[in-house]
Amino acid sequence: MPETDPQPTAAVVAEMLTKRYGSLTAIENLSFSVAPGEIVGFLGPNGAGKSTTMRILAGTMAGTSGRASIWGESVALNPAAAKRHMAYMPENNPLPEDLRVEEYLTLRARLKDVAAEKINERVAKVMDDCDLTRRAKGRLIGQLSKGFKQRVGIADALLAEPKVVILDEPTIGLDPHQILGIRDLIRSLRGKMAVLISSHILYEVEQVCDKVVIINRGKLVAQGRTEDLRRELFPQAIFNLITQATAAELKVLVSIHEPAATVDAIDAIDAHWHRLKVTLPAHSPLRETLATLMISAGMSLREIAEEHYGLEDIFLAATRRATTEGGRI
Amino acid sequence: MRHFRTLLAHELRSAFFSWNTWAAAGLFLTLMGTLHWFAVLECSRTPQAWTPIEATFRLFWLPLLCVLPLLTMRSFADERRQGTLSALLTTPASPAAIVWAKFLSAWITWALFWIGFTLFPLLVNLRLGTSGDVALFDTSALIGGLCFILVSGLLHVSIGILCSCVTRSATLAALLTFITLLALTAVGGAMESLPIESWAWLGWLREPAAHLRTFGHLQDFAAGILDSRPLILYLTGTLLSIGLAVLAVEGQE
Repeated sequence: MPETDPQPTAAVVAEMLTKRYGSLTAIENLSFSVAPGEIVGFLGPNGAGKSTTMRILAGTMAGTSGRASIWGESVALNPAAAKRHMAYMPENNPLPEDLRVEEYLTLRARLKDVAAEKINERVAKVMDDCDLTRRAKGRLIGQLSKGFKQRVGIADALLAEPKVVILDEPTIGLDPHQILGIRDLIRSLRGKMAVLISSHILYEVEQVCDKVVIINRGKLVAQGRTEDLRRELFPQAIFNLITQATAAELKVLVSIHEPAATVDAIDAIDAHWHRLKVTLPAHSPLRETLATLMISAGMSLREIAEEHYGLEDIFLAATRRATTEGGRI
Repeated sequence: MRHFRTLLAHELRSAFFSWNTWAAAGLFLTLMGTLHWFAVLECSRTPQAWTPIEATFRLFWLPLLCVLPLLTMRSFADERRQGTLSALLTTPASPAAIVWAKFLSAWITWALFWIGFTLFPLLVNLRLGTSGDVALFDTSALIGGLCFILVSGLLHVSIGILCSCVTRSATLAALLTFITLLALTAVGGAMESLPIESWAWLGWLREPAAHLRTFGHLQDFAAGILDSRPLILYLTGTLLSIGLAVLAVEGQE
């Protein structure tokens, strides 16, 4: 791929993508994009249509309607050009078991148009990056553990330095050490290539992704930066605190600064200390000053913590909202 | 073209290191060696109107039905079953390059089997030397028969590749190839055996039947007759099968 390729505004574009198998609709009018150098998590429950979407983007499956493009090249109209910019690792990561790791990667490098004089260098580089050189270089792929096979799949994806990498469940079946290694590897790609990654491990996606796209039953239910989605789906900030003040006393204090605030008593720890819950609007300035305000008002405070909404909560809230509203964002 | 060369080299290498190829080669050489041995024995006992080489080549349908499906059955069926074909299709290599590479690799292997078979008549000739009966070794029949195998092999191998493209089961692919090749050979043989000319109601079949006489083609080749019609038949049949195989690979999902 020439280095002078102009950089498009979006590395991956899915526009009104629909895939039907007879009467079954796998995905419907799905639209999203991935910017160059961005790492995007692609989330959804089982059967939501993640793998179908990824396969359409990778050009191994034709969509029923809509448009998919990779680095400005239409996947349907100009598949060879689109594939030159893209690498795809499918969910089960199929590999030929009778080839040795180095042979396989060399073959893939040739098929991916890596310049002949650079093939050995690239193969050595990705084997190093994926920690394959020492323990798997000369071994038959069929003899490798699941973790090393995943590494071979990722090494293959990075081989030709594509502009776009699509990884379908790259850490499935890996042990925690291996997951950490793969996570670091994916993180290191930020800014260098656009990565679309699907995973059931939401914590992992939260750790590495700049943005998430959530689909449910083939439809887009949410997309954006995790923090934006958090604010959108959880418009309230909740604080759990242990204090000597009662719920009524605290309510009087916070209402002066935030009339929409609510204070609920959870339980009494002993005769003096109470466990309370304060709910504030997400944008309330009191969110930053609640502890200071209480202390300056002479209220003893033993513990204060804001409830954190992780990607799991965002995912559940987004899919629940789509199910109850039947709509999408 | 670059992808085609890469894929062909990979396919040939895979075929060389595959136990399947060596098992097929063992079966083929055992079968053909035994047949040739019996033909030589028969000719050495009583003079025959045919040479051992002619007799062995006339039994080409035996390895065609028993060995060729073993060579082609795994080419696509196994890759589809394992999912490696999908992975291959994510590279810039085109489906046509993939199909042609697998086809040519299988055809070269098939050709090498038959070239290996020529060792038997050559050994017979070497053993008998000039003192032997010349009827036991017929160079023109050997070269002609080999040419027929190589040309008709294009169609036969392409049919095997096509059958392997349409299923994920190598066994089913072998069975489909066997049935298709049996039908093709049997129809050709039947056309030669039946007195079509004398059946007025089958008059319309005369012309197409003349093209499908497989054993007649073998005889023509062995006699050194170069007729363009069988060449066109085998080449167009090959292109049709390969074209269908490319469509099957493109639409594999």
